[in-house]
Order: sequence, then C-alpha cells, then structure tokens
Amino acid sequence: MSRRGLGAIALLIAMLVLAACTAFAQDQAPAPPAPPSDVPDAAAEADPPDTSAPPPMSAESAHAYATSTDVSSGTSPLPGNGALPLKLLPPGAFEQDRGPSEAVFPPQKLTLRFNHKFHVEQQKLQCKTCHLGATTSESVADKLTPKPTTCDACHGSNHDDLNTVQPGDSANGKCNFCHLGYKEGDGNLVAKFEIPRANMVFNHKKHVVRNINCQQCHGDVQELELATRDQMPRMRGCFGCHQQPEAAARGEAKAACETCHVKGGAKEGGRIKTVFASGTMEPPRWLHNSQHTPDFVQRHKYVAANDSQFCANCHKEDFCTGCHDGRVRPRNIHPNDYLNMHAVEGRLATQKCTSCHREQSFCLGCHQRVGVSMSGPVKDSGRFHPPKSEWSDPPRRPGHHSFEANRNLNACVSCHIERDCVVCHGGQGIGGGFNPHSGGFAGGCTTQFKRNPRPCYVCHDPGAAVLQRCK
Amino acid sequence: MILAVGVGAGLSLAPSVALALEPEITSDTAAQFYEVRSPTGETILQRRRLTTTLGVSVYDLYDTPQDPSGPSLSFRARMRYDADYGGRGAETDITSRSLVPGFERGPIDLMYGYVEGRRFLEGWLGFKVGRQYVVDSLGWWSFDGGEVKITTPYYIAAELYGGLEQRGGMPLSTPRFERDGVWRGDRSGYDPSLYPSFQPNDVAPAYGAALESAGFTWLHGRLTYRRVYNTGASNTSQFANGLRAPVSYDGTRISQERLGWGFDGTLPNLGGIKGGLAYDLYNAKMANLFASVDLYATHKLTLSVDYDYYVPTFDADSIWNFFLAMPMNDLGVRAAYDATEKLSFTGSARGRLFGVQTEAENVEQPTSPNGLASGNYYPKSSINVMAGGNLGARWHFGEGAVGARGAADFADNGERLGIDVYGERTLETRYVLSARTGVWQWDDKLRRDRDATSFQYVLGAGYKLWPRSLVYADFEHDMNRIAGQRFRAMVWLSVAVSK
Repeated sequence: MSRRGLGAIALLIAMLVLAACTAFAQDQAPAPPAPPSDVPDAAAEADPPDTSAPPPMSAESAHAYATSTDVSSGTSPLPGNGALPLKLLPPGAFEQDRGPSEAVFPPQKLTLRFNHKFHVEQQKLQCKTCHLGATTSESVADKLTPKPTTCDACHGSNHDDLNTVQPGDSANGKCNFCHLGYKEGDGNLVAKFEIPRANMVFNHKKHVVRNINCQQCHGDVQELELATRDQMPRMRGCFGCHQQPEAAARGEAKAACETCHVKGGAKEGGRIKTVFASGTMEPPRWLHNSQHTPDFVQRHKYVAANDSQFCANCHKEDFCTGCHDGRVRPRNIHPNDYLNMHAVEGRLATQKCTSCHREQSFCLGCHQRVGVSMSGPVKDSGRFHPPKSEWSDPPRRPGHHSFEANRNLNACVSCHIERDCVVCHGGQGIGGGFNPHSGGFAGGCTTQFKRNPRPCYVCHDPGAAVLQRCK
Repeated sequence: MILAVGVGAGLSLAPSVALALEPEITSDTAAQFYEVRSPTGETILQRRRLTTTLGVSVYDLYDTPQDPSGPSLSFRARMRYDADYGGRGAETDITSRSLVPGFERGPIDLMYGYVEGRRFLEGWLGFKVGRQYVVDSLGWWSFDGGEVKITTPYYIAAELYGGLEQRGGMPLSTPRFERDGVWRGDRSGYDPSLYPSFQPNDVAPAYGAALESAGFTWLHGRLTYRRVYNTGASNTSQFANGLRAPVSYDGTRISQERLGWGFDGTLPNLGGIKGGLAYDLYNAKMANLFASVDLYATHKLTLSVDYDYYVPTFDADSIWNFFLAMPMNDLGVRAAYDATEKLSFTGSARGRLFGVQTEAENVEQPTSPNGLASGNYYPKSSINVMAGGNLGARWHFGEGAVGARGAADFADNGERLGIDVYGERTLETRYVLSARTGVWQWDDKLRRDRDATSFQYVLGAGYKLWPRSLVYADFEHDMNRIAGQRFRAMVWLSVAVSK
C-alpha cells in the first residue's frame, strides 16, 4: 500500500474519531429547555430530558390556574416547558426520545392550552369524561378530542353554535383562557386546532374491552399539563403485546404488520404502505439493526441474509431485483464511469461482484464481445494483463498471476473459461502440470470425486494413476 | 409495456365489479444508449439496450381479509425482455468467427411467477408455488417448484422446498442464479467441437429446508440447507477440434450442497449483534463467515465492528474449486450519526488480510514439466494487506434529498478513491429533477500507465404521470484521460395501474 493510501486511511480514521467525539460531546452536553411541542419538529428534536419527577401541583397553584388569565399554564407538558422525564412518556419510549414517527403521527397544531393534571387531580375527571369516544372508537379516523361543548358546563361558555360562541362570565370562561393567541375583537375567530389522523390501523374499543388502560399506550398523561404528540404510542411499546410476527394464534394480540400498519393492497404491491405526506416510514435501529442509514446499501446483506421476510414486509421483489437481477447500473452502488474503473474494483473485490453478478455469464458475455478474454472473438493482445515477464514467467512474486488468483480467484473467473487455465494447469496434454491444487488436496478429494468427478476429468485422464489417490 | 398500458387502461375503464381481489399491472422500461471504447479510443461495442418488464399481481384471491392474521392468497408474476439492439448478428451466428456463445440479442425471461398462500390453517401453513426467489445466508437464488412453510406457535417455523433451479439457456430463464464457475447455456445447433468449454444446459433438480425462529422481534435465526444436482452430459475435453471429438461425462452429480446460518439479536438500549455463515459441504470448506456488532453509544450515534471471511467456491462441475484460493479476512469499523431526523452521517474504515503461500507444496507431483527451476518458488511474506473506507451523508428535505458518498480502497495491486454528490427534488409532487456529480481516481498498479482521474456528471428530469408512474430521462457525461469523453443517455418509463 502506498503512502498516499496510508495517509487517506489515517484521514478516514481521524474523521471517524472526530465525528464520534463530536457526537459524544453533543449528546453529553446539558439539555437546553425543550421547545414547545406544538411546533412540528419540536418533539423530534427534543434533547435529553431531566429524569427527575415534576413537582406536584399545589392547591394554590390549581386555584390560580382556574381563576387567572395567565396563559402560560397548560401550554406545555410541564410547567416552564420542562423536559419530560422518561417515566411520563408512553411505554417503549427511550431516554432522549425524539417522539413518535412523523410518518405515522403527523405533526399537530395545538392551539388550545389545557392542563390535564389539573382536570384529573383537582377536578377528579376521568379520561373518558372528555374523551368518551376513545372507549368506542374503532378507527383512527374518529375524532377523539372532546367537542367544544364538553367544556361549557364548567367554564360557563356556550359552544352550541360555533358561529356565535358565548364566553363565560368568569375569567376561565373567556375565549383567550383556552384559545392561544386570541385577542379581544377577534370575535369567533380562533386559531385552528389540528390533530391529523394517524397513518395506521387502530381500534380503541378492542383495547379498552381488554382492560388496557389509557396509560399503557399513552403514558402518564394525568401528570402532564398539555398532552402532545410525545404521548402517542411507540412501536416498541406495542410490541409488549404484539411481538409475534407470523406466529399462529398466540394470544389475542395480532402480530402481522398489517395489524397496525396500513396495508397498501395492490397500490403498494401487497406490502404495507410506507410513504405518507408527513414522511416515510423506516425501521428503527432497534428492529433487527436495520435502520436505513446512508450506508445501509452496503450492509443490508446482514439483515436480508438472516430474515428476508422482514424486508418483504415493506419491499416486494421488484425493489431487490432492481440491483440483484437488474439491467441498469445502480449509481448508488457503482459510481459514474464505472465501466472504466470496474476492473480495479473487481480485482480489489471491495464489493463482491458475485453478490449480484454471475461471472461466467454476466461478465464473460460482455468480455468476450469486446475481446477482454482469451476465448473472445478478438484475441488477447496482452493489454489486459501485465507483461508476460511479470504476469506468468517465474519466479512468483507480487503481481504474478498466481498471486492474484490466490487472493481473488473470482477476478480470473470473470474473464476466463476453464480452457484458459487448463492450458497450463491441466494434468495432461498441453499443460502437463503446473499443479494448481492447495496443499493436502489429495487427502480430501475422495468425497469430491465420488460426488462429482467431472472437474477431475477435465485435467486428468479417467485412468490416470494420479486419480487413484481420490478414488 | 404497450400491453401493460392496454391492460391498465382496460382495468381503469371497465365497470367496477364487486370482487374482493385486487389486480395490479406494472411495467418498467429502460432504454440505454452508450458505447464501450477501447483504451485506444475506438468503439468496440455499441450498446442500444432496451429492457422492459411486465408485472401482473392479483391480491386477496382467497378473500379480503378483515383480520390481519387471517389467510391470504395472492399471485405475482413478472416477465422481462432484455435486448441489445447494438449487438451484431454475427455474435449469435454459429457459423461466424465472432460468435459469442450464450449471447442472445433479445431474450425473454420470467423473473418470478408464483401463487402465495399465507396464514392458512389457523396461521400454521404458508406456501408458494411457481418460480420464486429464496434469499438467505446462501445468497439470492431462484427455482421453479413449491415451498411449504409451517409456522408453529412454539417460536419456530420450518420450511421445505423443492423443484428445478433456474438455469440459463432453458426457456424463460437466465443464468443469474446458478453457482458460478461453469460456462453453460443452450448448445442447440452447435457442432460438438465448437466451443467445447461451453457446457450444455440441462434441468437441475434442487431441494432445501430451513428452520427459522418466529415470534421474537429482538432475536431471529435461520438455519438453511440446499442441494442442487447437475444432470446431463458435460464436456470434459477442453481442446476438442475438428480432429478430436470432445469427451463428455454424463450422469447425475452434485452441483452444490451448502449449509447456511444467520442470526441477529438486539437489545434496544444497548445494541445488536448479527452473524452468519455459509458452509460448502461439497468442498468441505467454510465459504463465508460474517459477524457484526452494533453499539448504540448514544441516541444518535451507533458504533459498529464487522468481520467478514470469504473464500470463493463454485459449482461442483467447475475446476476452480480445486484451485488454491486464499481467504479474505475483512475487519471493519463503522459509525452512523443522526444529527437530526433528516441529516445523517456514516463512516467506515476496513482492512483486509490475505494469506499467501510461503512454502512449496505438492513437491511429490510434477509441478513444472517445462523444467523451470523456479516453478515452485513462493515468496516469503505470508500476509498481504489492503485497506479502505467509506464516508456518507444524507439530508432529506421536503420532497427531496441531498447526499454524498466517498470511498477509498488501497492495495498493492490497485487503488480507488473518489466521491459522488447527488441531489434529487420533486416539484409540485410531479416534476422530478436530479443531478449527480463525482470525481474518482483509480490506479491499476499491475498495468503501467493505467491510472486516471475521472470527472462525471449526470442530469435528469422526469414527470410523474400518476402515483408510482414516471417518465424520466437522464444524461451522463464521463471524462478521463484514458477513455476520453464518454456519454450515456437513458430513458425510463414506469407504469403502475391498479383497480
């Protein structure tokens, strides 16, 4: 290896170390306050939360909340927009959790302030008091946030006709008590509140009748002021019950991907739907180590070799055949001008050609057409190998063809047919014997000869004495 | 493709019938235009390739499953026409000196075509019948036949399959899935002495079995076994000519017998491990062994170590199984860093060790009939090293992405170093723009003056006709000092129609 090569490797390693150190430094740094969660990317970008429990709300503060017009309360999950501790998040959430997938739970616009903790602890309300529909809902298309009229009984307002909403008399009945950004004179105009439907299949009713309570999927919402996207379920939490892919009748929790994910039908080639307006679903790293990082194309073999059915949940054959049985060069694997440089890469075998190509057909056919083969229409002119004095004359040394064959026999097979090698390496005829076998070959050839003697007869006469060693 | 559009239009215009099944017609067509030039500049191959595929799928043949764990039945098939209109007639003319055995100017093949049943018998039974792929630690393989999979509630599934391996030269088949090392195809019309190394094809009975874990998301393993037979005659004399008829060996014999194993395990807060192997029972040799360990260092950073061991093995008809081939031992480290949800970086470095012979072998056998005194000379060094690495970055934004990929490989017989930068953007959900450029330097250290630095760019634009349907064209321009200017144009049409 040249000095330039060593230098480049050192540079690569240095960059890796630098990246790792930077990552560590950033991840170990004190967490700044989390931004408001009604900003679409806020949950995803949230930094490591404080793991200490939030302070309990005193009776005084509760009273103050109910009677004041301070609009800072109920606008974030915890007072002062503090970071959420893991124990309040839904099961399956991680430390430094970025929130659920935006592809599955699109960003929300939360334009209302609401203090769940106050309503549950102080007002003794239950979840279903406001979210009654959640106990009977069978579809994610159902709206499960309470109707505006639900609030009227306590707040003294009247939302019967949304065109002529009547505010309550007390401070907590005024429009700007709940509607963020509302100003006097806005009339009935309030900011739109929007929780898009989730891109999944979910039946609340089925879970409720199995005594699965709200916290088992949504975390401790009763401990929070504002509930955000962060409280939507995590797939890892769902696996607590639904973790049996393809298993037969194991409990009531169905395990097929389509149980929760949207089945695409013909429009998705029979696989689950992965592309939505809010993003593309990709597997997390904790699922078969299959996070689709920028280098996944180079390491996906580890995933596919072990569990191709896992890949097939989202990808149909055509996705794989584009490269593995394709006829168009995939540029993310073979860069431009690969036609010119493929010989070097083929010899280096940094990408194993045989993982996608069969050499004695894919390579040989083209090589014969252009004459890069002893058997091709255009006879070998010597320009594809080093001079004979280096390539085939003794002594053997680096750069000799025996060296290259030793280190990457596939490179030979991609251009040459058997006859090309037998000319010199055959046990009879023209070659007469540059023995290509490895040491100890004769000791293990009996089984091979018995199961398939054909290759032996290419070089050795069936009656040859040397073959007796393998019979 | 025209057929696809016609059938698709028919599907779209036909009155809707209250059937549960969901049909789908898809087609991909790619036309490529480029030239292959010799180092001295003359055009030696004109590529005018047209590749078109037509896929037909019908889902929910059994019923429309309301219960995702209920049985389902589907049919999927795809055919392909792959023609090179730049090919010369002489290349397929058996009487021509320019004949290229095995080359066909416009072959048609059935890529896959099977009926698949899933979750029958209360979830126990799955099956596939037809031409199908098998993907596991033994590689990417295709056969015509049947597969049965029994999934038990006891965390294990069993799979049995049997049929005929897909082989080149047979009807509607390609040689892609045969084991390497044998030049084989359709010899119909060939004189026995013409290209005796070009072996006649024949059916290849195959069967296999697998045991696989089921029911865990954090642990998975698959043990797989496969055996394939060669049948029919095979020429063994490589130098037959008009005076000597070829000698052939005829009989059912092993083509491959291999055992594979793959597994992975993950602890979500810690990391994961993967591993696998492929053992060649015919050669009694470990052909491939790999292991990968991932450490979830932080929520954003994953650090990994990979090991890969590889020795080439071939079809049992091939003489190259008996050639000395030393193993490649690759050890690599990787890092992946997600700066944000949309911005990711990866980097890796790897080293490879080869063993090389240091002592003379087979001294009892004639090794140098030509009387070369140094025919058995072996170098002193026993370890040969090469190294390299990759860097990658990707940023998603809206309906687009920008990325970069660099790679470097260094060895005493060649070097490669370069980077590609690419971007793609969809405007107004239908106009597709893409661009790619790169600089790559390579050096063939075995051949003098075969080093070059290449600059390339690709510009592309497309229009999404409707979901999953796209017409797209791109233009590639490569330039380096050896081949000079090289151009490549491609037109792509994808069509998908479903009911």
